[in-house]
Amino acid sequence: MISLLTHSNPLSYLPHSSPTPSISPFFTHTKTLKPSKLKSLKINSILQYNRKPELAGDTPRVVVITSGKGGVGKTTTTANIGLSLARLGFSVVAIDADVGLRNLDLLLGLESRVNYTVVEVLNGDCRLDQALVRDKRFSNFELLCISKPRSKLPMGFGGKALVWLVDALKDREEGCPDFILIDCPAGIDAGFITAITPANEAVLVTTPDITALRDADRVIGLLECDGIRDIKMMVNRVRTDMIKGEDMMSVLDVQEMLGLALLGVIPEDSEVIRSTNRGFPLVLNKPPTLAGLAFEQAAWRLVEQDSMKAVMVEEEPKKRGFFSFFGG
Amino acid sequence: MASILTLRLSPSSYQRLIQPNLTGLRRAELGFDSCRLNLRNDQRKAKKFVIRLALSGDSDKQDKSIQDIVFVNTRNTLVKFRESVCSRPHIFVTKRTSTSYVAVGICVVTMFLVIVMRVYKSRISRPSRPGSVADLVRRGQLRSDRRGISSTLKYEDPFNNPMVKISMTNSTVEMCGKVYRLAPVTLTREQQNVHIKRRSRAYQWKRPTIFLKEGDAVPSDVDPDTIRWIPANHPFATTVSDIDEDMAQTNVYQKHGVPFRIKAEHEALQKKLESLQNDQKFSKLTIDAGNAKNFERPFRTQLKPDDQVEEKLSNGPSRHTQSDCTRNSLGSNTNTDDIQHT
Repeated sequence: MISLLTHSNPLSYLPHSSPTPSISPFFTHTKTLKPSKLKSLKINSILQYNRKPELAGDTPRVVVITSGKGGVGKTTTTANIGLSLARLGFSVVAIDADVGLRNLDLLLGLESRVNYTVVEVLNGDCRLDQALVRDKRFSNFELLCISKPRSKLPMGFGGKALVWLVDALKDREEGCPDFILIDCPAGIDAGFITAITPANEAVLVTTPDITALRDADRVIGLLECDGIRDIKMMVNRVRTDMIKGEDMMSVLDVQEMLGLALLGVIPEDSEVIRSTNRGFPLVLNKPPTLAGLAFEQAAWRLVEQDSMKAVMVEEEPKKRGFFSFFGG
Repeated sequence: MASILTLRLSPSSYQRLIQPNLTGLRRAELGFDSCRLNLRNDQRKAKKFVIRLALSGDSDKQDKSIQDIVFVNTRNTLVKFRESVCSRPHIFVTKRTSTSYVAVGICVVTMFLVIVMRVYKSRISRPSRPGSVADLVRRGQLRSDRRGISSTLKYEDPFNNPMVKISMTNSTVEMCGKVYRLAPVTLTREQQNVHIKRRSRAYQWKRPTIFLKEGDAVPSDVDPDTIRWIPANHPFATTVSDIDEDMAQTNVYQKHGVPFRIKAEHEALQKKLESLQNDQKFSKLTIDAGNAKNFERPFRTQLKPDDQVEEKLSNGPSRHTQSDCTRNSLGSNTNTDDIQHT
């Protein structure tokens, strides 16, 4: 959703103040975090469209996008964040680590161009640069699939292979990529272990329902056990109308349950399905859609290692002018 | 037939109503049997100068002509009119107010606004009709012909996006024409640490480093917590690795040249060819046109044996001589005729 800057940002042009930490005891089990209670807090939200994002951290930043539960939007997030980063000028390699059920190539519209995968690279059938599929829209975006459907990869081998791949990508002639995004498969099986092995930060995608949250909490626990401490979450498929009617947990409720910094909040948008079927990621839509803007903002925060400081809670009736009745 | 006789002389003129006012007869027949004009005297809403003239009702109905209806164009016949008013008993109603114009105007404007509002509402609700095809297309449920209308955003767009506006008070944000209320995030570092501690207690996990199938023996130097047991019927997983790890790592790091497998296969084929060349049978292998022709001949003879025989007969000994030469150059005992017949 909307982008909110932190204090650490030197380019922010409005004064900030961090939210008061003494608000709302953490484990109070409120029905819903009512925004009306928080009216006394100052909301700091700044539009980030006035400048380019500044890359924080050492490159390559290896980010695994995971969730635990399936169908929450990991692959969609990977595709949209990846292309947003590429559009912002950063070189990105997206790795589809789903061995059996890869879909990232479909979402990116690159399915017809995947001839070689990591398995072929390991076997010596091709070189790594031949297995990287370069996007024609943005030449600084490349896709790498772990394997073709129905192919088998030795289970204890995937993690090592990804570590080698990351090392090999670092030493490329054209330079080290800024971001390596790893699309993690669902579950906490061998595919999950393979995907998280080379990562040093994680983006947890979840939906505001209790099943996804339980799986997400488990996955966060595993990531923390594995030593990945930089974990941010993206809440996907948020419906403000349902939140208003208290039929859906608000983003603040989700944050209260998981205790993670927010990278982005993606509203439910029918354009997601459409863009998926077309193989045209949402962030490239013109005119931009609501979810596309939210992904774009999330990518922005990912670059700057930033997190949201305010979230959209509900839709307000738009204030109209005197002549709005006549279309003014 | 009841009607109201209302005669408008001109937009600015007066409207007159002349009504026969007989004592017992309230109806003036205007000479038409089928068309009787009913003149009502309750024209209270007349907004113009209205004259209601009660005609003297003679008992004889023979004089039913409409000459009694007199149109007076005020100023010229005002005096005459006054006389007639004074002379005859009649009802004279004059109603002329300036507010009536305002009322008519308000009615017209109100009606116009109602029409506009209805049109506006119908126009707004039209695309959002749930379940319609347009709605399904709009929601992305159906493929429309609008595939591919989206064009790629330019690089500069993220830095000047007019679709996102934040209010001056930072309390609302407008995105894609919708206004959303903002609420501040209240998660603090302390609260995050509490969650981390909770999870560290709840989940004790070590990343598996070795994968074993059911029935495999556990190596002695491996921590049992890092073993992941794979069910035997797993659809994708295999614990058997036919890839040499060192070789695989070398392959991943290879940046230039022919990939290892391709190179290995090429080298193997090369070796095989060399071994064949070293063999006595093919040691004198040379390429010449005659050799090629000799190998083509059986194919051609199979297709057209009669033509081949005729050609052979017509060429005669010269052809035989050439084939003998090639046979000699090959150094083999294969006879072309033998090949043909075999």
